[in-house]
Amino acid sequence: MTAPVAESREPRAESGPDAARIRALQGVGIFCGLTAGAWLGAAEAPTKLVTIGVSPVVVSLAMVIGVFLARWSVPALIQGTSHIGADFRQAPHLVVWAVLAGCLWAVANTLTIFAVRDVGLSIAFPLWNSNSLLGIVWGIVLFGELRGADARRWFGVIGGALLMFAGATALTIASAHTTAPRDAVRGVIAALAAGVLWGTMYIPYRKAYLTGMSPMSFITFFTIGELGMMTAIAVTFSGGVGPLWRELSAAREVLFWLLLGGFVWVIGDLFQQYAVKYAGITRGIPLSNTNQLWGLVWGIFVFGELRGETQSMLGHVIGGSLVMALGAGVIALSSVTRAEHERWQQSAAREGNRYHVDPAYTSAGMAGREAAGMRHRHTWVDWTIVIVATSVLIAFATMARTPQIAVRWEWMAGLGVVMLGMLASGGIALWRTTRFS
Amino acid sequence: MNDGEQRDHWIRLVLRDVQFWVPVVVLIGGLLVLRWIG
Repeated sequence: MTAPVAESREPRAESGPDAARIRALQGVGIFCGLTAGAWLGAAEAPTKLVTIGVSPVVVSLAMVIGVFLARWSVPALIQGTSHIGADFRQAPHLVVWAVLAGCLWAVANTLTIFAVRDVGLSIAFPLWNSNSLLGIVWGIVLFGELRGADARRWFGVIGGALLMFAGATALTIASAHTTAPRDAVRGVIAALAAGVLWGTMYIPYRKAYLTGMSPMSFITFFTIGELGMMTAIAVTFSGGVGPLWRELSAAREVLFWLLLGGFVWVIGDLFQQYAVKYAGITRGIPLSNTNQLWGLVWGIFVFGELRGETQSMLGHVIGGSLVMALGAGVIALSSVTRAEHERWQQSAAREGNRYHVDPAYTSAGMAGREAAGMRHRHTWVDWTIVIVATSVLIAFATMARTPQIAVRWEWMAGLGVVMLGMLASGGIALWRTTRFS
Repeated sequence: MNDGEQRDHWIRLVLRDVQFWVPVVVLIGGLLVLRWIG
């Protein structure tokens, strides 16, 4: 797989995207969606630790702490906090949207932990990935996506969505054979609720990116919502700050792995944000939901899930996953036409007018370019953030011990190499084409 | 226009935006499901 070729090495501001530029941005968006799938799939692996006695809320809180560290240190390292500040001065209302999206993420993530506990990773994963269906609905209804598209593209997106639904149904049927009925119902509801929350979370995403904001800026405030909400959930479920602290202390030997899972999740999520920005919700989210396949690979090959299951059960899980992936592929190939992109620009103009945002800022963001006055300048604040985040991770690493869970290290190493290759290719493509704007 | 007036202004715009209330309602629903499951 190769990264999209950059259309221009020097992004220019304040000019509408031409057909070649739209194609280049689409290519980057699609590649970001695929890379997001690989990294988001890997990030779910630490939730397996639930099976060795760590409480679901502690798992979720620890992952969110890792997420918080990554969501501040990665943007500080790449763009600098001065760039983030300049972005939010252009559109201060997006702070509210970012915090709200973070709250949605935290609740959804906690629900997924319960879902994994009750029905297993292989089953829960595709169920919460139904979020892409809802995301497509929001994209069409609220942001004019697919408006102006021809019948083939409508058919591709809607047909792909139906395929994904069929795949999810096959996996739901399979879940009834693996767990006690009460657990299966609870797990399936938790996974589907997480899907609704994540599907709705794309509303704030799209609002931000139609306005012209950089994903790097959006996620820094997003994470305040997710850490605040997750802390509130953890304190409530644990019965207070004291009991929560004791649970965290008792789990200190595995906290590093959960923090690392959160860090890996952020890499995937960042690519997903760029996919939403440059390919739209209707294409970007189904592509990033190929994480379902990566989750299946991790579950089966690294953790040995489904070992000893019947051929019928394996058929349901593998068949359902492949049908879902096929649906996602069909959606992804329904590329955005110039007419549809013009509808996106109209939606962006409406957002700009509603919130009194500088039109030059909005149009530059839509074209994957930086508005005049936006600079990548690093200060002591950025380096402090990076050093603190790294130190926290090292401190937890010194306390860590390898979880007592069967892992096939050769498969883990192989998947790691593939993920790093996609990260490098996607990062270079984004830098060359958009300068991470 | 001072900073306080500017802040009130965009907060009012957010609250009047119908799209804002969709995720708010879903978030409340999600918290209720979490309470039931937990």
